[in-house]
Amino acid sequence: MLSTFHGLEAARRAMMAQQAALYTTGHNIANANTEGYTRQRVQLKATPPFPTPGLNRPNIPGQMGTGVEASSVERVREYFLDIQYRGENSKLGYWEARADAVSKMEDIMNEPSDSGLAKTMDQFWQALQDLSTHPENEGARSVVRQRGLAVVETFHYLSNSLAQIRTDLGTQIGTTVTEINSLLNQISALNERIAEIEPNGYLPNDLYDERDRLIDQLSQYMEIGVEKHPTGGNALPMAEGTYDVYVMNGSAKVYLVQGRTASVVSFSDGSDVDGDGVKEMPPDLGINTLDVSGTTVSFFSLPNGKLRGLIEGYGYQTGTDASGQPIVKGLYPDMLANLDKLAYTFGKVFNDVHQQGYGLNGSTNHPFFGGIGAVSGAANTIKLAADIDDLANIAASTKSGETGNGNNAINLANVRSLLLSNATVSLQDGISVNLASLNLPLSSGTVETNYQGWIGQLGVDGEQANRMKSNSEILRQSVEEKRQSVSSVSLDEEMMNMIKFQHAYNAAARQITVIDEMLDKLINGMGVVGR
Amino acid sequence: MRITQSMLANNMLKQITRSYEKLDQYQTQLSTGKKITRPSDDPVVAMKGIAYRSNLAEVEQFKRNFSEAYNWVENSDSALDKATQALQRIRELVVQASNDTYEETQRQSIAKEVRQLTEHLVTIANTKVGDKYIFNGAKTTEPPVTVNPDGTISVSTNSQQLNIELAKGIYIPVNIPPSTAFGAGSGLFSDLQNLAASLENPSTTGNDLTGYLDKLDSHLTNLLGVRAELGARMNRIELMEDRIDSQQVIAEKMLSDNEDVDLEKVITDLKTQESVHRAALAVGARVIQPTLVDFLR
Repeated sequence: MLSTFHGLEAARRAMMAQQAALYTTGHNIANANTEGYTRQRVQLKATPPFPTPGLNRPNIPGQMGTGVEASSVERVREYFLDIQYRGENSKLGYWEARADAVSKMEDIMNEPSDSGLAKTMDQFWQALQDLSTHPENEGARSVVRQRGLAVVETFHYLSNSLAQIRTDLGTQIGTTVTEINSLLNQISALNERIAEIEPNGYLPNDLYDERDRLIDQLSQYMEIGVEKHPTGGNALPMAEGTYDVYVMNGSAKVYLVQGRTASVVSFSDGSDVDGDGVKEMPPDLGINTLDVSGTTVSFFSLPNGKLRGLIEGYGYQTGTDASGQPIVKGLYPDMLANLDKLAYTFGKVFNDVHQQGYGLNGSTNHPFFGGIGAVSGAANTIKLAADIDDLANIAASTKSGETGNGNNAINLANVRSLLLSNATVSLQDGISVNLASLNLPLSSGTVETNYQGWIGQLGVDGEQANRMKSNSEILRQSVEEKRQSVSSVSLDEEMMNMIKFQHAYNAAARQITVIDEMLDKLINGMGVVGR
Repeated sequence: MRITQSMLANNMLKQITRSYEKLDQYQTQLSTGKKITRPSDDPVVAMKGIAYRSNLAEVEQFKRNFSEAYNWVENSDSALDKATQALQRIRELVVQASNDTYEETQRQSIAKEVRQLTEHLVTIANTKVGDKYIFNGAKTTEPPVTVNPDGTISVSTNSQQLNIELAKGIYIPVNIPPSTAFGAGSGLFSDLQNLAASLENPSTTGNDLTGYLDKLDSHLTNLLGVRAELGARMNRIELMEDRIDSQQVIAEKMLSDNEDVDLEKVITDLKTQESVHRAALAVGARVIQPTLVDFLR
């Protein structure tokens, strides 16, 4: 036998379920513009019919439906798209950081222009040519000295500015590491809350959204993988569980987050500037390895991500040279080293020619440039020699006492196009340079072509970084679009649902009226025959 | 594919940003007149740009050196022209004086003129252009000809060639050494002083004076030879200048071809992009469509 009030109960359930669906629709509309929000759907499920089979079942014709219930509230999301998105996001992070580093370097080098190092050098050569036609003229000598000073200052400016940007990159690495650690803490905290809620049979959808959003953010810094672990208890089958986040170190997984515990990323040989006990600033020399809560991760095993892009700009150690000194590579360390080599080679060769010539006063063996004792740091230490304070010491002449002889000035001007691959180079008037004995760090091309080559290389690096940046941007956008297509809130759709649920709710209410009238008939309108 | 409002809005924003990027690129090209502003825009153009600029700077410097070379050669030639004129006048005087009809006082006054002209020649040999003595080899701060206390005149022996680089690796000598122009030791000047002394000497015969004519002729021939040499050098310098001029035009053209924008093209591109941008904005205005809400009571 069905209960007298069966219909009332079924209608009540319907009203409750449609109401839940309406509330969820409201939640969706409210979050239509929330970043990382996934639209939610109430799963409506028919309640178990009556009667259930059994020995004492009532003998009625077939099972009777008992209504509906809201079985769960779920997110509409595709996990596979998340994986794709995070992959592209790491690539974008890497190329963005690299493109940015190259672009800053281009700003500093300022080539091709009328104010870069190439132009300053050109002006210096021109001043020497002018000196060759007026060797006895103090004015021409003064111009050579001033233009020489301009070359030296340009070297200093380039070297200092590059070093400054490199320091800024270091600070940026520090901030990034702090940000990564904060994300790891937030993710583990969310894991903890989720692990508390899921065993009760609930789906903490909004916490899932938040966690996914944080992992998306983390993926721009480094390429990460995610493992899911069920939380147990009465967790629903569609519960997401806790997330373990890892990076690959070679073929081994190094966990950044494992359930409720977050690892700390730092540089074991770095320094702690904000006093939180984490060495987030990279070492001055260049990065060697990353430390993830005691586990050493080689920087080379980070395939992508902003962190790697920044480190490549800042510099990293690739081992040690014969004398035990670390070898540092990277965008900025390389350019700084190149400038040092250029300043050293240019200064040494120029001095060699200059010392063989004679000044206005007949004196000889004066160096023109000083501060070039070692290759390392030469671009920063090169300066005009004190001897040149006396303009008469500028060796324009190839012979002593010949004031009108400007042949050595021509020789000096020709240092620009001197082939560094030759062992010895003969110049005018019996002056020759023994390049082999100078032990120069540059041994091919000329002073000028070497510099042009580096600018070309810089341009190629920048072009590649910009192209890859826009490529990965487009790819990420296309994945993001697919993801949005699945998960974002459509107001039209929600409106349709709203009306649908509203009608269903109204109909269920009407059902109650019908049953009420039916019962009224039964209770008040029956058994009154003859009364 | 399911498309939602937020997707439309995001997409529109991205397209308009992209359109702005292009507008920015064209406007930068127009305002700078250059195809590129940084090496990564086009590494090859950037690298070539540096080389072409250096090349042009070098050619411009050679152009500057030419005016120096002209300065030397023209001043030397004009000085030697004056020297030739003075010598010719002396020769005329000697021809006159070698007539035995000339009496002593007349020869005395000719001798005076010869002495004056000799001094004139000394000044010519000591010609200064700017702060340089142009006839003293590399010792341009010292006069090549000095009058000694005993009245004799000595000519320096500095013969260093002064070279000016007028093209890559081509050094042109621009000076005339004193010994070539005015005779080694004291050649020309001692001859002239001897001549004056002979004119002053009453016992000199017309025949003796005729002997000086040969010497004067040889000096004149020498000067002519030197001037011919200067003229030939001048020709060579002019020819080289022609070549450097055309090199400069080529260097400027290469630089311009390499990095300057084609204005017609950029303006057309900019105009096209402008209309595309307007279209994008117009489309954007329609992206914010009425939703179902607007139609529900």
